[in-house]
Amino acid sequence: METLAALTIAVLVTCGVYLVLRARTFPVVLGLSLLSYAVNLFLFFTGRLVTGAPPLAGGSVPTADPIPQALVLTAIVIGFGMTAFVMILALRARGELGNDHVDGKGGNI
Amino acid sequence: MNHWLIVPILLPLLAGVFNLLLVNRRPHLQRTLSLGATAALAVVAMYLVAIADAGHIEVYQLGNWPAPFGIVLVLDRLSAMLILLTAIVALLTLLYAINGDDQRGRDFHVLFQLQLLGLNGAFLTGDLFNLFVFFEILLIASYGLALYGFGAVRTRASLHYVVLNLIGSGLFLIAVGTLYAITGTLNMADLALKIAATDAEEMALLRTSALLLLVVFGLKAAILPLHLWLPALYSNAAAPVAALFAIMTKVGVYAILRTYTLIFPAEGSVPDVASDLLLPLALLTVAIGAIGVLGSQRLREMIAYLVVVSVGTLLAGIGQFNVGGITAALYYLPHTTLVTAGLFLLADLIARQRGSTDDHFTPGPPLLQPTTLGVLFFLAAVAAAGMPPLSGFLGKLLLLKSVQPQHAIWLWSIVLSGSLVALIALSRAGSRLFWKTEGEQATTMQADFFRLAPAATLLAMSVAMMVLAGPLTRFAEATATQLLMPQQYLDAVLSSEETS
Amino acid sequence: MDLLLIILLPTLGALLPPLAIRFGRSASAWTAAAITAAALLLAVEPLLAVFNATPVEYHLSWLPQVGFDLQLRMDGLAALFVILILGIGLLVILYARYYLAESDPMGRFYGMLLLFMGAMLGVALSDHLLLLLVFWELTSLSSFLLISYWNHRTDARRGARMALTITGAGGLAMLAGFLLLSHIVGSYQISVILDAGDLIRAHPLYAPTLLLILIGAFTKSAQFPFHFWLPHAMAAPTPVSAYLHSATMVKAGVFLLARLYPALSGTELWFIVVGGTGLATLLFAAYTALFKHDLKGLLAYSTISHLGLITLLFGIGTPLGAVAGVFHIINHATFKASLFMAAGIIDHETGTRDMRLINGMWKYMPHTATLAMVAAGAMAGVPLLNGFLSKEMFFAETLYIVELGSLSWLLAAAATLAGIFAVAYSARFIHDVFFNGEPVNLPKYPPHEPPRYMKIPVEILVALCLLVGVFPAFTVAPLLALAAGSVLNGPLPEYSLAIWHGFSLPFMMSLVALVGGIALYSQRHRLFRLRDRLFPVPDARTLFWQAIEWLIDQAQVVTRALENGSLQRYSALLLLAAFAAIAVPLLDNRGTLSGPLPMTPLDPLTVLGALVMIIAAITVVLWQRQRLTAVIALSVVGLVVSLTFVRYSAPDLALTQLSVEVVTIVLLLLALFFLPQQGMAESSHARRSRDLLLALGIGGGVGLLTWGMLTRPYETIAGYYMENSLPGGGGANVVNVILVDFRGFDTLGEITVLAIAAIAIYTLLDRLQLPMPTTDPQGRVWSQERHPVILAHITRFLLPLALLVSIFLFLRGHNTPGGGFIAGLVTAIALILQYMASGIDWTQQRWPVQHHPVIASGVFIASATGIGSWFFDRPFLTSAFGHFHLPLAGDFELATAMLFDLGVYLTVVGVVMLILANLGKLTKRSTPDGEPN
Repeated sequence: METLAALTIAVLVTCGVYLVLRARTFPVVLGLSLLSYAVNLFLFFTGRLVTGAPPLAGGSVPTADPIPQALVLTAIVIGFGMTAFVMILALRARGELGNDHVDGKGGNI
Repeated sequence: MNHWLIVPILLPLLAGVFNLLLVNRRPHLQRTLSLGATAALAVVAMYLVAIADAGHIEVYQLGNWPAPFGIVLVLDRLSAMLILLTAIVALLTLLYAINGDDQRGRDFHVLFQLQLLGLNGAFLTGDLFNLFVFFEILLIASYGLALYGFGAVRTRASLHYVVLNLIGSGLFLIAVGTLYAITGTLNMADLALKIAATDAEEMALLRTSALLLLVVFGLKAAILPLHLWLPALYSNAAAPVAALFAIMTKVGVYAILRTYTLIFPAEGSVPDVASDLLLPLALLTVAIGAIGVLGSQRLREMIAYLVVVSVGTLLAGIGQFNVGGITAALYYLPHTTLVTAGLFLLADLIARQRGSTDDHFTPGPPLLQPTTLGVLFFLAAVAAAGMPPLSGFLGKLLLLKSVQPQHAIWLWSIVLSGSLVALIALSRAGSRLFWKTEGEQATTMQADFFRLAPAATLLAMSVAMMVLAGPLTRFAEATATQLLMPQQYLDAVLSSEETS
Repeated sequence: MDLLLIILLPTLGALLPPLAIRFGRSASAWTAAAITAAALLLAVEPLLAVFNATPVEYHLSWLPQVGFDLQLRMDGLAALFVILILGIGLLVILYARYYLAESDPMGRFYGMLLLFMGAMLGVALSDHLLLLLVFWELTSLSSFLLISYWNHRTDARRGARMALTITGAGGLAMLAGFLLLSHIVGSYQISVILDAGDLIRAHPLYAPTLLLILIGAFTKSAQFPFHFWLPHAMAAPTPVSAYLHSATMVKAGVFLLARLYPALSGTELWFIVVGGTGLATLLFAAYTALFKHDLKGLLAYSTISHLGLITLLFGIGTPLGAVAGVFHIINHATFKASLFMAAGIIDHETGTRDMRLINGMWKYMPHTATLAMVAAGAMAGVPLLNGFLSKEMFFAETLYIVELGSLSWLLAAAATLAGIFAVAYSARFIHDVFFNGEPVNLPKYPPHEPPRYMKIPVEILVALCLLVGVFPAFTVAPLLALAAGSVLNGPLPEYSLAIWHGFSLPFMMSLVALVGGIALYSQRHRLFRLRDRLFPVPDARTLFWQAIEWLIDQAQVVTRALENGSLQRYSALLLLAAFAAIAVPLLDNRGTLSGPLPMTPLDPLTVLGALVMIIAAITVVLWQRQRLTAVIALSVVGLVVSLTFVRYSAPDLALTQLSVEVVTIVLLLLALFFLPQQGMAESSHARRSRDLLLALGIGGGVGLLTWGMLTRPYETIAGYYMENSLPGGGGANVVNVILVDFRGFDTLGEITVLAIAAIAIYTLLDRLQLPMPTTDPQGRVWSQERHPVILAHITRFLLPLALLVSIFLFLRGHNTPGGGFIAGLVTAIALILQYMASGIDWTQQRWPVQHHPVIASGVFIASATGIGSWFFDRPFLTSAFGHFHLPLAGDFELATAMLFDLGVYLTVVGVVMLILANLGKLTKRSTPDGEPN
C-alpha cells in the first residue's frame, strides 16, 4: 500500500509540475491545483496509513494521528483561497495584457 | 504571561477588520484608524525591544497550552528588533501613502494592515506550521498590494510573483511534513531537540527538509538564482508598496537566520546545509545584483537591484555563522531596509517632476526642486553605495572584519567591487536625473512637506545609525550571541508551564 | 577637544553660507571666511603645543566592537597640513568672492568648499586608519560636488564622475590595505603603527598591504597611470583647482606616503614601486605639460609632475629625500596655488584660457604679470625662489642613489631632463601669455587688471615664495624641521637650507635645466610638429569613457539575459532548486531510504481509487487544451482525494475536501468562461521534454520521500491531544478541537488568509472588462435563457434544507465530524445554487447582503473570542472550558469554542459569496464584444 501511495503522489506531482511550466495561465492554474492535491496528500500521509480509526477521543485506541489531519484541513482552506485568487488573477492578467500568456506575449486572443 | 507579546499581531488584525467594515465609505476614517494602529504598533514595538534587550526570552502560550502542544509566540532580541523595524518602515510609508496614493484603488489600508499582521506573526511565532500560515497571510496580502493600481507591467510582474510563491508554499509544506513525519512535532524548539537526537538513519530525510526550507526562504529573500522575480515586481509597484516591500525580503533572511541557528545549527546533527551553501550563494547574489545595478535603465530598477545586493550582503554575514558575521548582518539589515524604503519614495518624488521621462536615465525636464531632492538623493546614494561615513559603510566594515581568512579574498573583493560599481552607477544616475536636463520644467506641482518628510526621515535614519553605531552594534552583537547559543531559547520555550 | 572642533567647525559650518546668501554674496563669503578664521584661531593653541614638541591628542569612543574610535592627533606633519589647508583656504575664499560670476550660486560654492575643508582637516588630523579613510572618501565626495559645480556643462559632469570613480576606487583598495595593516599590527592607531615598522616589513602580508595602500595614494595624487582624472577636474571653477587640485586634496596621496613612511618604507618593493611611479609621473607629466595650449591644462600637468617629484623623493627612501619631499610639498602649494589664481584672473579678464590667443598681457595687466612670472620662476626652480631650494635638494638626492648600481646615474639624468621640461613649460607660460606679440581676437577686449582684492591672495602667496626663497632659515626652517621630524619618526638628518652651496653638482644640474629649458622652449615650434607627427598620444579620457560605457552595456546584456521576464524560466529555476534539494540528500544517502515498517496489504478498492486518480491526473495533462475536459478530470482527482481521506480515517477532511471541491469547480468553470476554451500547443518539443524530465525528477523525488516516510516509525506528540481533547478541550472530535482550541491560532490565520484572498479578488474584479465568447467551442450560441425553471424551483426548495444541514454540521462539529468551516461551505453552495438557477438580480433582490461586513464580522468574532480570555487573565484564545466549576461547565466551554467556530462560519460564507457572486456579475458587465453595457 505504501508503494501505491508513493506512486500516486509521484504521478500527481509530476503532472502538476509539468502543467505549471506551461505558457498559458489556465494550465498553470490546473497544475497548481494538482500540486496542492499532492501536497495535501503528502501532508496527510505524514500520519502514516491508518485505516478505520478516526481520531475521536474516548473511542478505540490507537487512532489515526489527528495532527496531520488538522494541518491538512488548514492547508486545504488556504489552498482554496490561493487557487481562487490565482484563477481570478489570470482573468485580470488577460484583461490587462490582452491575452492569456503568462508573460503577456503574443497579440490579443 | 505578558499579553503585550500578541499585541503586534492583534493590532493590525483588528485595524484591518475595522477598515474592512468601513470599506469604500470614509477614507479619512480609514486613514486615521490605519495610522493610529501603526503608530501604536511602533510604540508597543519599542516596549518589546526594551523587554527583549533585558536579555531573557519571553514566551506566550496561545490557548494556554504548553509548548510543544500549543502554539507559542517567542520574543527574543531578533524578533523584537524586526518588529520595531517593520513598524517604523510601515509608519513612514503610510504617512507617505495618505497623501493620495491610498485612494488609487480599493482596500489599500485593509491590505496594508493585514500585511503587517503577517510580518509580525512570522517574526513572533515559535511554531513551524504557524510560520507557514503567517507566510501565507503576508504573501496573499502582498499579492494584493503588489497589484495595487494595476497596469499591464505591474500585473505581469505580480502574476509571476504569485505563481512562484504558490510553488514555494507547496515546497514549504513538503518540508514541514517531512520534519513532522520524522520528529512528530512542529514546535521549533522541540524540533531542534528531536533533530539533535535523531540517528543517522533519518539523516537523508532531514537534510532534504533542511534544503527545501533553504529553497523556500531563499525565494522569499531573493537569493541567486531565485531573485529574478524581484526587480520587475519592486520597480513597478506603487511607491508606498515598494517602500513597504523593502521589509519583505528580510522575512526570508529572518527565516534563514532562525532556522539555521535554531533548528539546523551549523555544527548540529544535520551539517553542511546552510553553512556550506549560504556564503557562496550570497557572494554570487552580490555580484549579480551589482551587475544589475550597473545595467539598470531606470532609477527604480536600480534600487530593486540594490535590494538584491543588500540581500547578498546580509547573507554573506549570516552565512559565516559566527558572532562577527551575524552582528554585521544585523547592523546592516535595518540600514538597508530603511534606506531602500526611503529611496523608493524619493524615486517617486523625482519621477513625478520629470513628466513623461519618469525615472528613466534619459535627459528629461529639469526638476522643480533640484536642491531639496538633490541633497536627499546624495545622502541616499552615499548610504546605499556604502561610502563613508554613513551606516552603509559601517555595516560593510563590520562585514569585512568578520570574515575568516580563508574566505577573505572572495568576500572582500566582491563586496568592495560591489561598492565601487554602486558608486559608478549612482553617480551616473544622479548626474543624468538632476543635471543632464533639457526642455522646460514638466510640472509646477512641488512635492509638499508631507511627501518629503517621510522620505527624508527614512534616509536620515542612516545618519542616526552612524551616530548611534556603538549602541546599535552592541545590541546586534547581543542578538547574534543569543542566536548562536540556542539553549536559552530552548529552555524558555519548553520549560514554560501552564498558568492555569 | 580643540582638534575635534577644528574639524567640526567647517564641516557643520558648511550649512551657513548657503543660508547667509540671502543677505548678499559678501555676507556669504564673510561667513565662510569667518568660519575658516575661527578654525585657524582654534588651531593656534595646539599648533604652539606641537611646536613645543608635544603632540596634541583627542580620543572619543565610537564603535568599540571593531575598535573604531575618534582618535585625533596633531604632530608636525599634521600641523603643516592644517596650516596649508586653513591658510590657503582663507585666501581662496577671498579670491572666489571676486572670481565667481553674478549668476553662480555662491552660497552652494562656499558650503561645499567648507565641507571639503573639514574633510581635509580630518585626513590631516586622524590618528586612526579607518577615520582617515572616512575623511579621505569625504574629500573625494566633496571634490565630486565642486568639480561638477557648473553642472550644466558636460565636461564638468563627466570630469566630476571620472574623478570620483578613480579616487573612490583607490579609497576602496586603501580600505582593504588598511584592514590588512591593522591585522598585522593589531591596532588601527597610526601612532602605534608607525612604531611597528619592522614587524610590518617582515610580515608575509606586507606586499599586498603596501600595494593596496599605494593604489589609494597614487589615485589621489594623480600618479601615472591614474593621473588622467586631474586634468579633467580642471572643469571646476579655478578657486577649486587652486585649492583642491594643486594645494591640498591631491597632496593627500603624498601626505599618506609621508604619514606611513616609517611603517612601510625602506624595502626594495617600496623603492621600486614608489620611486618608479614617481619618476614615470615626473617625466611623463612634465613632458606633456609643455604641449598643453590650455593654461589650466599646462598647470594641471605641471602639478602632476611635481606630485611625481614628491612621490619619487619619498620613494628614494633616504631621510634627506623625505625632508626634501616635505619641503617641496610646502613650496609647490604656495607657487602652484598662486599660479592657478593668476591663470584664473587671466581667464576672468580675457574670457579664454587658450595660450594661442592670450599674448602680450604684460601691456594690459603688468601687476598680475609680475606676480605670475615670479611664481612661474619658482615653478621652474629659478634661484632666490623657494622652488629652487627644494629642487636642488632633489637633484642632490638623485646623485647619492646606489640601489641601481652602475645605472644609478640614470636617475640624476632623468631628474635633470624633468628639470629641463619644467623650465621649458614655465618659460612657455611666461612668454606666451605675457609677451609673444599681440593677443589674438580675445572674447573680452581689452583686458585689464582685476579688482584689487582679487590680487591680494596672489600677492601674499608670491611674497611667501620670495621670502622662503631668500631667507629659508628664518621662515620655513622650523616648520620644515617639525614636519620632516614627524615624517621620519626619528632624528633629522643633517641638511642646510642655504641658497648657495658653491658650484656643487646639484647647482650644475639646475643650471643645465635652466639653459636647456630655455633652449628647448625656443625650439618649441619644431618640437610641436615633431610630436604631432611622431606619437599622437591616445586620449585617456575617451578610453576611460569607452571602458565605462562598455561595462554598462555588458551589465545590461547580462542582466537582460538572466532576467528575461519569462515566468517559465523562473519557475523552472525554482523547481530545479527544489529538485536538487530533494535529490542530493536522497542520492548520497548514508543510511537506507526505506524504513523498517512492514508494508500494509493492498486492497482492490484502494488500488482502483489510486488508478482512477492517476488516470485522471494524466488526463488533465494530456487534455489540458480541451480545457473543459481538463477541469472535469481535475474534479475527479479531487473527488478521489476526498475518498482517500475517508479510506484513511479522516472524515472531517473528506467533508471539507468535498465541499471545497464543489466551490473550486464552480469557480474554475465560471473563470473558464472568460478564457479561451482551447489552448494551443506552442512549447517547442525540446522544452516539453525538458519540462517533462524536470517534472519526473521532482515527482520521483517526492515519491521516494513519501516512501521513505511511510516506511518509518515515528514518535508523535499526538497522544497529548487524544488525552486532553475531552478534559481540556471539551470535544471528542480531536481534529476539530485542535482546530478551534489547541491550534486555534492557525485557524484564525487561515480564515484571515481567506478574508484577504476575497478582498484581493474583489479588487481584481474591480472595473475588469473581458471579452465574452458568444458561442462555445463547437460554435453553438450560448443559450440566452439562462435560468431553467425546474432547477430554479428545486433549488429554492432546497435552500432551507441546505441551511438546516449546515446548522446541523456546525453544531455537531465539536464532537463528531463537521464544524464551522464545512457548514459555511454548505451554506455558501446552497446560496450559489440560487444565483446559478435564478440569476443574480433575482437572488440579490431577495438576499441583499453586503459581503464585506460579513467577512469582517466573521474574523472579528473569532479574534474577539480569543481576546475574551484576557478577562479571565488567560492568554489569547484560551477556551473558557474548565474556568468555572459549574455543573453546566461543558455548555459554557462549548460557548467559546462555538463562538470561534461561528466566526469561521461567517467568514467562509462571506468569502465564497463575495468571490462567486462578483465573478458571476462579470457576465453582466461584459458583453459579447467586451464593451460595457
